[in-house]
Amino acid sequence: MKKFKVLPHRADLKIKAFGRDKKELFLNTLLAMTESQKTKNLKEQIKREIKITYSDLPALLVDFLSEALYLGQVNQEVYSRVIFKRFTDKKIEGKLIGLKVKRFGEDVKAVTYHNLDIHQKEDKTWEATVLFDV
Amino acid sequence: MKKSDFRKINDSLWEIPQSFRSDMRVPARIYVSEKMLEEVFRDRSLGQLVNVATLPGIIDYSLAMPDIHEGYGFPIGGVAAMNMKNGVISPGGVGYDINCGMKLLKSDYQEEEIKNHLESLATEIQKEVPSGLGQGRQIKLDAASINKILEKGAQRIVEQGYGEKEDLENCESQGKLPQAEVTAVSDHAKNRGRDQVGTLGSGNHFLEIQKVDEIFNEGVAKIFGLFKNQIVIMIHTGSRGLGHQIATDYIKVMMTAMAKYGIRLPDRELAACPINSPEGKEYFAAMTCGANYAWANRQMIAHSIRKAWKNVLGEKSSPLVSLYDVAHNIAKIEKHTINEKEVEMILHRKGATRAFPPGHSEIPEKYQAVGQPVLIPGSMGTASYVLVGTKEGKESWYSTCHGAGRTMSRREAMRRVSGQEVVKRLESKGTIVKCWSLRGIAEEAPMAYKDIDEVVGVVHNAGLSKKVVRLKPLAVIKGE
Repeated sequence: MKKFKVLPHRADLKIKAFGRDKKELFLNTLLAMTESQKTKNLKEQIKREIKITYSDLPALLVDFLSEALYLGQVNQEVYSRVIFKRFTDKKIEGKLIGLKVKRFGEDVKAVTYHNLDIHQKEDKTWEATVLFDV
Repeated sequence: MKKSDFRKINDSLWEIPQSFRSDMRVPARIYVSEKMLEEVFRDRSLGQLVNVATLPGIIDYSLAMPDIHEGYGFPIGGVAAMNMKNGVISPGGVGYDINCGMKLLKSDYQEEEIKNHLESLATEIQKEVPSGLGQGRQIKLDAASINKILEKGAQRIVEQGYGEKEDLENCESQGKLPQAEVTAVSDHAKNRGRDQVGTLGSGNHFLEIQKVDEIFNEGVAKIFGLFKNQIVIMIHTGSRGLGHQIATDYIKVMMTAMAKYGIRLPDRELAACPINSPEGKEYFAAMTCGANYAWANRQMIAHSIRKAWKNVLGEKSSPLVSLYDVAHNIAKIEKHTINEKEVEMILHRKGATRAFPPGHSEIPEKYQAVGQPVLIPGSMGTASYVLVGTKEGKESWYSTCHGAGRTMSRREAMRRVSGQEVVKRLESKGTIVKCWSLRGIAEEAPMAYKDIDEVVGVVHNAGLSKKVVRLKPLAVIKGE
C-alpha cells in the first residue's frame, strides 16, 4: 500500500496519506511531513513521549502532527516511527521515534485545517488530506 | 462564481453584492483591474472573501487587494474591520506568520560607489544573517529574555545595543504594541522562538540589496530621503515559528470556544471569537506578542546587516538608516471615522499593508506632511516599490496591497524551471543571487507570481496609496 502522495497546491504543501487502519494513517501523514522537511539527518536516534487529547478525529490528527512538528523544530529532530500506547478518536499516547537533524531543507511551519479531510473508504482503509504551511 | 456576479464600481474596484449569498452580512469588494479579475477566478480566494463577509461585527465590506490569493480561512490580500462592541477577532484574519512585514534601510551611497563590493556584501550578509533552519550559530534565549522581547518588541533589541533610537521612530507602532501579555503565549510558542531572533526563515522571505531605479514623486522621495541610484536594503520576514505556534494554538482554542458564542462558520480556518470574550482578548494579547517578536526579529536582522556592511565597507562607511518598518499580517485596534463619528475597530490585515494618510497621529513626525511610507516587495528578482499613504485610502481603512501574490504552485515552478536557470536569468540581468538551496530559488521564480507592476498600478490608480519610487534588485539573499 502506498504511504502517501504529494498533491499539487499553489503556495503550500498538500499531501494525501493512506492507511489500513487509523494508526497507520496517522503514521503515514507523519511520514509525509517528515519527508517534506527534506532534512540532513544525523545518526543519533531519539524517542519522544507524546500525549494528545482532542474533541474529534480530524482535529486530533492536526494536533498530533502539530505536536510532532513542534518537538522536531525545538529539538532539531524528525520522526519516522510511532509506538502507540493508546489510540482512540479523541486521545493518543505514545512515543515518536526518529533522528537528530543537521539541517532542515524545507521549513514546514504549521499544520492547517484548510480543506482537511479524514475518512474511511468503502474498502475499510483510511485516507487523509492535510495542508501544511511552508 | 463568475464575472457577472460582480458589480463594477470603477476601473479598479468591483463588488460582490450582499445578495450573492444569504449568510453575507456585508458586500465584498475587490480592488483589481478587469484584466487581473480573470486571474482571481483561478483559485478559491473569492469564495474566501465572501466567507469573511459572513463574520459577526464586520463593518461595511470584506475587502481584497489586487494581490489576493487563496489563504487559510481568509484570503491573502484581505482586509476586514470588526466592530469592537460585537465583532470577532480571527487568527485566520492575521495569518500564521504574525507580523510578517518589511523593513527598508537606506544608505548614502549610489550604485556606482558600491558596484565593486556588491558580491562581497551579498556574501557577508548571507553569512551574518542565519536562515534559522540549521544547527548552531543562533543564540538560544532563556524564558525571561524571550518574555522581554514579547513585551517590548524592537525596543528591547535597541535597548540591548542592537540599533538606534531612530530605528524605533521609523517603525510602525515604534516596534512595540502595548497590549502584549506574555502569559497568553504558550511555552510551545516561546520555545520555538528561543533561537530564532534575527533569523530570516525560508519561503518567500528574503533580503535584497536594491537601487532606487525610478522616482515617481520627487517631493515625497525627498522627504523619505530617497534619491536616484541610491543603494537600499530590504528585509522581508516575520515572527518565524513563534508566530506560527500562536496561530496554531489559538485556532484550536477558538474552534472549541466558538460554539458557546453561537458562531457557525463555513470554514474551520475562519475560527473566530468575539473580541470582548476571554478567548478573543487572549488571542489578541498573544498575537500582539507575536507582532512584537517580529519587529524584534527584523530589528536584529537590520543589526546583522549593518555589521556585514561595516565588515565589507569599513567602520567609517556611511550608516544604514531605517526608512520604515511595516507589517502586512496583523490585527490592530484602530479608530476610524464613520459618518463623522469616531469608531474603534479591530482591523485585520492579512497580506495587506497599513497606509496611513498625511497628518495621521500614528506616523513619524518627519513623514506627517506626506503620509506613511509603504513598503511593497516584488517577487524574487523583480522590482519592489515604496508607496505613500493617502487620504483616499480611507475607503479601505487605510490599507493597501502587500506584494506580488503567488499564481503558480512551488511544484509547478520547479517543473517549469530549474534553480540554476533562474540564477542564470537573474545574473544576466545583473542580479546576484545567494541561497543555500537551488530548489528554494526555483520555487520562488518570478514567473510564479503576479506582475508586481500591475498590482501596484491598481492601488495607485485606486488611490489607496501612491507610487514614490521603484527599487531594482542588485543582490538577492534567501534563507532556503
